[in-house]
Amino acid sequence: MARLIRTEKEVEGRYEEVWLVVEEDALEQWPAGARAIVGQPAVRIDGLQRARGEAIYTADLRLNGMLHAAVLRSPHARARIRHIDLAPALALPGVHAAAGPGEIEQLVDECDYQGVAVAAVCADTLAQARTAVAAIGVEWEVLEPLLDPDEAVRRGELLDEPRVRGRGDYEQGLAEADVVLTGEFRTAVVMHNSMETHQAVVQWVGDGVEVHISTQYIWGIRDEVAAGLGLPPDKVRVVCNYMGGGFGSKNGADDYTFIAAELAKRTGRPVKCALTRREENLAAGNRNATIQRLTVGAKSDGTLTALGGDFVNAVGWSGWSSSTEGPMQMLYACPNVKTTTYGAKINQPPMKAFRAPGFVEGTFGLESLLDELASKLGVDPLELRRLNYAETTADDRPFSGKQLLECYRRAEPHWERRHAVRARSTDTVKRGVGMASQIWYGGGGPPSYAWVRVSSDGHATVITAMQDIGTGTGTAMAQIAAEELGIPLDHVTVSLGDSARGPYAAISAGSSTTPSMGPAVRAAAADAKAQILEIAEQRGTPDAPLAEVVALLESGQILGKGARGPNPAGMQVLTFGVQVAEVAVDVETGEVWVDRIAAIHDVGRVINPLGASSQIEGGIIQGVGHTLSEERLHDPRTGEILTTSLDAYRLPTIADVPEIVSELIDQPDTHLTNLGSKGLGEPPIVPTAAAIANAIRDATGADVRRLPITRAEMLRALREAELRQREREKVGAPAGV
Amino acid sequence: MELRRASSAADIATDSLLLAGGTEVVPLLRAGLIDGDSLVDIRGIVPQGIAGDRIGAGAKLAELECDPQIPEVLREACRLAASPQLRNMGSLAGNLLQSTRCWYWRLGQNCRLRGGDDCFAREGEHREHAIFANDFCASAHPSDVAAALLALGARLHTDRRQLSLAELYRVPTDDDRRTTTLEPGELLLEVEVPPAVRSVYLKAMDRKRWAFPLVGVAAVRTPAATRIALAGVAPVPWLLAEDGLDGATPLPGNAYKTEIAAALVRRARAALDA
Repeated sequence: MARLIRTEKEVEGRYEEVWLVVEEDALEQWPAGARAIVGQPAVRIDGLQRARGEAIYTADLRLNGMLHAAVLRSPHARARIRHIDLAPALALPGVHAAAGPGEIEQLVDECDYQGVAVAAVCADTLAQARTAVAAIGVEWEVLEPLLDPDEAVRRGELLDEPRVRGRGDYEQGLAEADVVLTGEFRTAVVMHNSMETHQAVVQWVGDGVEVHISTQYIWGIRDEVAAGLGLPPDKVRVVCNYMGGGFGSKNGADDYTFIAAELAKRTGRPVKCALTRREENLAAGNRNATIQRLTVGAKSDGTLTALGGDFVNAVGWSGWSSSTEGPMQMLYACPNVKTTTYGAKINQPPMKAFRAPGFVEGTFGLESLLDELASKLGVDPLELRRLNYAETTADDRPFSGKQLLECYRRAEPHWERRHAVRARSTDTVKRGVGMASQIWYGGGGPPSYAWVRVSSDGHATVITAMQDIGTGTGTAMAQIAAEELGIPLDHVTVSLGDSARGPYAAISAGSSTTPSMGPAVRAAAADAKAQILEIAEQRGTPDAPLAEVVALLESGQILGKGARGPNPAGMQVLTFGVQVAEVAVDVETGEVWVDRIAAIHDVGRVINPLGASSQIEGGIIQGVGHTLSEERLHDPRTGEILTTSLDAYRLPTIADVPEIVSELIDQPDTHLTNLGSKGLGEPPIVPTAAAIANAIRDATGADVRRLPITRAEMLRALREAELRQREREKVGAPAGV
Repeated sequence: MELRRASSAADIATDSLLLAGGTEVVPLLRAGLIDGDSLVDIRGIVPQGIAGDRIGAGAKLAELECDPQIPEVLREACRLAASPQLRNMGSLAGNLLQSTRCWYWRLGQNCRLRGGDDCFAREGEHREHAIFANDFCASAHPSDVAAALLALGARLHTDRRQLSLAELYRVPTDDDRRTTTLEPGELLLEVEVPPAVRSVYLKAMDRKRWAFPLVGVAAVRTPAATRIALAGVAPVPWLLAEDGLDGATPLPGNAYKTEIAAALVRRARAALDA
């Protein structure tokens, strides 16, 4: 039964009050613990297709008569087009159409960042299209770019009003403190660099349009394209069967989709518009740089009295100012907190959501400073975190479920290893162990729907127009349906990835796919099961196996439908965890090795332990990259992006990957849906940088203050620590404080 | 563009683009950084393989890294270069003749190395750039292998002459922007590697594998001398002089490279003494 409610909806840490039509979630949760299928490790149901190359990604798509588009993008951080001439491009062989500034909204002549789309051409081959783009004549007026985020804040060049949040009396909290520490932390711009670049193939069919796209949100693309092209949403079909990574950068339709749509319309042919790797490193979004000026005040036993911070998000030309202050606001039970967050508008490519946006950056700053505090006070870092554990949210709401203390308990044996690890230090290679806590969202929410079809052979198909962005959520849905129906996993097929072939499904962002879709799939399977039980009752064999009952159907089918119910009212749904990193630092060359990371996370019930450990490993590997080697560089004067290839932009290689030990608490969140499951896409990347930085402090006494921890930064921090030590010896202070 | 297969050195024109492993020339072509009418496949005319102290210019890095006849410093320089896939394709001569990784040059900017008036790196982002001979052009030579051969005192045989490896390279100047002394159309054929008593190659990079050297240190002891050569610190492979690193002229953003170089040179010397 549907009902209308007023509720808070959260995506990627941003909340809005919305009206939602939701259906009741009448099913009881399964008891805690692994079941016959749910909670058991399952290999991916589409693993073989992927491994054999049979999986057709958007990048693989070759439609009959398909043309290829190439895009002219601004090479300048800030420039105006005085004159543009598409004629030389149109005259070249193979070229079918070209569009310039103003012909569609996504093509502009006032360029406020490098990589903004200016013109596009489509041709028979990609090489022809690229040659044609190079032939477009452009007269640029290059303008002075604004690149420094602090300068943007000074000038008031902000995306929106500074966000001031807080509780208690911050100044009073500082006054009550026995010790006050401050620190400035910086994080660099890092790139999503998905294996499959951003792309779409668009063709007009009848009075509608078909969009094949590498996307995290089939239904969002449908609405965005419909609005952009002036079509009823049902005239837009969106297809994404397989997806080569998104990490938050593929939530919207973007310029390439509308360019393909326009050129397809003009030529009457399907058009593919795929970003090159170079474009991917310019115009496809990024995790923006941050500057965090943080203060912590505490009693001498470690009890926090005040937390404060000025956060500058170097957003780029557009986007949004993510919750870099979120961890400071939410992680600890500190009575006095004050944060101000600025979204600096600069002439750089816009940010996009990137795997726990804001929280990765903010956790690095906060958890590094807390570790400095522990070191200063001589308090064990794990005990400091327990001491300031938050029993409720800052506004006194209960958590729907929180197993962070259990995470800390399970971290103990990993934390204990620090004595043995340190003991392996040499004169030049220092070893240490560090930890950091994780807080993030991941509860998902309504609406989301699924259908389950059971045939007379006892096999079932889950039908929903959801995307599996490579995380294995399709497999999790099959497990949930099989568990509820009581049939083997390989008797379940999952049909997803096509808005014309299934009901609405939530965005795959904010770690929300499993917690949003899973309960809907279970409800649909339960609906089908109830119908089968009803037939069994009528037949007078209420205990007959499912296969025996459905065998009566012949060509008939049982059709079940299910919807995601509401989130628990008045509660906050969050995920928690802790990571313990072991590192080695070569103090002469600044080289850092991460040897081992133990990750303990609480995401409620685990559907597929194998998929979950893969997610943890993926998050940590990406986190190691952001911590040690990845950084988008630009020229400090012109703003030109310098790292546009995968040899200049340094993703971690397999040799950089530490031993990863993953543990999940696996306790259902008893207030959340019929599953008690939260998402795990983002949590594992949140604490990794801080855990590594804290391990470096443990090993060397050096306070790392910026990401990535390049050799230059590592050597700087070591020198600073050495100077501090010498100063201390001069004044005769006891060592080690 | 036409792809031709050379059957003799005479098939090579002065402006021909040469293809051996293709790991450098193909990306440069794709990026539009070099251009020409024809690409000449020289795999049929350039010697390959290893015979005593002679190495064919077309030998793959992957062969060198596992051949026990090759001095340790060269094997290690090969092993720490690029990735296994690239080493399976990349040739010895191609590695010696590769262009700088300076991002300004790789983005096609009209810098001094390309004949322009500015070194954008000196004023801009230069964390990976040269700490020696960087007053005109701050590009860093990326070849690990060249540093190893420089320390070994290797000699080169071309289709026209013999020269020392040191003579192959030149620091670019205002009136001549080239970084090698090869004449147009001249073909490297063989590399002659003198024996070493002891040798070692140490490399600092931004990740554990598949990165160009921030600093590479090749150290070789022969009965006559100890030589140390550095990769990634100057526009050419750099032979360390008597004054060691005192002559370094780091830029504001890359002084850390001098620090790393000092540590690695110290360790390399210690390894030779061990």
